[in-house]
Amino acid sequence: MTIGLILATAALFHLLGLVCSMRAPRAWLYSNSVANGLLLATSIGVLCTATEWEWKSTFTVASEQVHLRLDGLSSIFLSLLSLIGGLGAIYAWEYWSIQKHPLSAKWGRFFWSLLSLCMALVLTSSNGLHFLISWELFALSAYFLITLQPQKKEVRNAGWLYLAVSHAGSLLLFAFFALLAQKTGCWDLGPMLERTDLSTLFWLALLGFGVKAGIFPLHIWLPSAHANAPSHVSALMSGVAIKMGIYGIVRFSGWLPMPGSAGWIMVVLGIVSAVLGVVFALGQHDLKRLLAYHSVENIGIILLGIGFAMVAIDHGKAAWGAFAMAGALLHIWNHGMFKSLLFLGAGSVLHSTGTRRMSDLGGLWNKMPWTTALFALGSAAIAGLPPLNGFVSEWLIYLGMFSSVIQPSSALLIAIPSIILLALTGALALACFVKVCGVVFLGAPRTPAASHAHECGLWMRIPMLVLAGGCVLIGLAPFLFWKLLISAVASWHGTWELTPMPAALKLLSLSHILLTLAATAGFLLLSRRARQKGIQRRLTWDCGYTGPTPRMQYTAGSFAGTITEWFSWILRIKRHEKLPCGIFPQQAHLDKHTPETVLEKIIEPCAQWILWVSRIIRQFQNGRTHVYILYIILGLIALACMTICWS
Amino acid sequence: MNSLLNVLIGLAIGLNLVALGTGRLQALIRIVALQGVILGCVPLLIKPDFNIIIWVFTLITVLMKGFVIPSLLRWASRAANVDRDVAPMIGFVPSLLLGSAGMIAALMLSFQLPLLPEHHGSLLVGGSMATIIAGFLLLVGRSKAIAQICGYLVLENGIYLFGLLLVHSIPLLVEAGILLDLIVGIFVAGIVLDRIQRTFDSLDTRKLNILKE
Repeated sequence: MTIGLILATAALFHLLGLVCSMRAPRAWLYSNSVANGLLLATSIGVLCTATEWEWKSTFTVASEQVHLRLDGLSSIFLSLLSLIGGLGAIYAWEYWSIQKHPLSAKWGRFFWSLLSLCMALVLTSSNGLHFLISWELFALSAYFLITLQPQKKEVRNAGWLYLAVSHAGSLLLFAFFALLAQKTGCWDLGPMLERTDLSTLFWLALLGFGVKAGIFPLHIWLPSAHANAPSHVSALMSGVAIKMGIYGIVRFSGWLPMPGSAGWIMVVLGIVSAVLGVVFALGQHDLKRLLAYHSVENIGIILLGIGFAMVAIDHGKAAWGAFAMAGALLHIWNHGMFKSLLFLGAGSVLHSTGTRRMSDLGGLWNKMPWTTALFALGSAAIAGLPPLNGFVSEWLIYLGMFSSVIQPSSALLIAIPSIILLALTGALALACFVKVCGVVFLGAPRTPAASHAHECGLWMRIPMLVLAGGCVLIGLAPFLFWKLLISAVASWHGTWELTPMPAALKLLSLSHILLTLAATAGFLLLSRRARQKGIQRRLTWDCGYTGPTPRMQYTAGSFAGTITEWFSWILRIKRHEKLPCGIFPQQAHLDKHTPETVLEKIIEPCAQWILWVSRIIRQFQNGRTHVYILYIILGLIALACMTICWS
Repeated sequence: MNSLLNVLIGLAIGLNLVALGTGRLQALIRIVALQGVILGCVPLLIKPDFNIIIWVFTLITVLMKGFVIPSLLRWASRAANVDRDVAPMIGFVPSLLLGSAGMIAALMLSFQLPLLPEHHGSLLVGGSMATIIAGFLLLVGRSKAIAQICGYLVLENGIYLFGLLLVHSIPLLVEAGILLDLIVGIFVAGIVLDRIQRTFDSLDTRKLNILKE
């Protein structure tokens, strides 16, 4: 009952935030922080005690009884939501300040609260109709947050694309919930594993939730929406909102019986998203768009873990499934943290230089040491480097896959390619973030905007520090979180709560701590020696040239050029070039651009065709009353014929 | 009695074709008025026994269809100061051909229908359907709003004729109610005509399609 009371208090504080958002920004910040703090405490509490809270009231909304439920699985997502929701609001205090954006800051606060509240409702609601209502409100408030700067054309376009794709997904979910309600006879949601006739509905859910999650061919809305939204919104969208899609998939894969091939399909989708997400990220020149494509990659990794757990269920609930699932759930947390950290870092760069084009940046290390250090930490985490959290969760997924290989079964067929491709993904992600850090933060500033950059303030730094702290904590002491994860896994599918912690996890933790200590010691030693020997910091790329210019540096495109060439079959990079010719060439330039292949080659031609058909159909509605009367006559004649023929 | 009834309905069908073939607005209004008068007399032939209500009803129908409505239309066309031709969208010859084809189809169909014994050998059903088709043709094939109102009147005449089939079971009060509706409809149409004329400076309904979104 205490859980219910705390949740009600948190909801009240969120509502208070909604009321305060217009007139009283400071009160809004406090109530938002309190609400999110309460939610975080509750969800961690639920995870620690492995309890499940369920509340069915006599109070009805839309003639359905309110039915709420908070178990381990929703707590994983709720804790992430409350963490990012609270920190993002603090970040926005400076980033999207009232002085700079008097009007949109107001609406930003309002929809931030609404979005947090609706996502929390999606996570706790256990009634199909209420789930849909919260889902729709969540999608709409995210749209208004993305388009906080509607005066920019690309923001409007991104918003429209998001709205259209998101509603296509919602349509599938409407079909899914309606069919589910029709077959079960009520809107109540819950475990219904014995109803094997429901298993085909899972495909609808996978598509509908997959659109929101941004699985590879369905990700088309994601890059532009995340790139054009304000950075704190991108952090919330990328860190939490797309996880709602994952939540839906996990939730209903736990509640509904699965078709036999579902796990395999999920693994394939996951691996495709992971590899192609990172490949597309390598081709980007826009910092935030690049990060957005990494969301596709990480969603792929999460999906891979979940898919493996589902394959494990088909193999009689083998223990390796629990490892893969725990890895996937931990990766949800981890991705939420490091991706939000990276988006907040990118926001800090954008805030101080006003550009997202990586080729206009460079040499920010000297001006923005905090941002650089935090962004580099986030990069190391997302690339899956030890001793950070990304490594731990990917390690758990690897552990699950390797364990399945040791005990021979048909899962071996998919485990081995997945291991290889996941390793490839990790390597490419590392290359991609070397590129980002190298081009944006190292070297010399390429434009005046980059050379006049300044460090962000305390309001923006504190949320980043907290997130970085989270990344380090999970990296160094993953064994602390095992119990939490396994209680979530158990609420997904029972009988896995007894899975013992893999013995190597403590060893991993120990080696991470040792690695950190060794690295710190090495760093201190080297910097002391550098100080003693009087080594100075000089201009980068000053390699013996008499007059080096910043244009001689590697650009984002040239750095990744080799790798993007390998994948030119899907990237279809467009080159605009003017080659130097003659003895004293005057002008030359080379520009590479990666199009949105799926959007431009598949979706847009289809949309063109639909428009063409609609234009023909529109001819029927031409505004001439005579023709309308003719339609009536034809309709009457048709009716008469039908009556005569049938009688 | 039946032969006289058939002669009257035959006249009305003939007037349909005349209406489809005429190019003048004033002539069209006159033809419709004449059709109204002819059809207004039909109830007397269906219920030959002397009945004061039938006589009063017939009188009112003839007055309304033969005089009041045509004069309303003439007044409207004078007030709107429109051209005299009906501005056909479907030419006269095609209209006539279509009207004839419709008439033949209607009569053929009426012979196939399972009718009550007392309606066998009467043109009531066929004539009403032929008139309805002619009314539709006028509605679709003429672009002047007044010509379309005439088409609407012809259509209504057809429906009225059909209603007479049921004259034994439906009181004439219902028919009287329909007549009242018709008057109100024409009255409203007169106002609409005036508005169209003022807004578009013409009564050509083809111009209304700029109102489309």
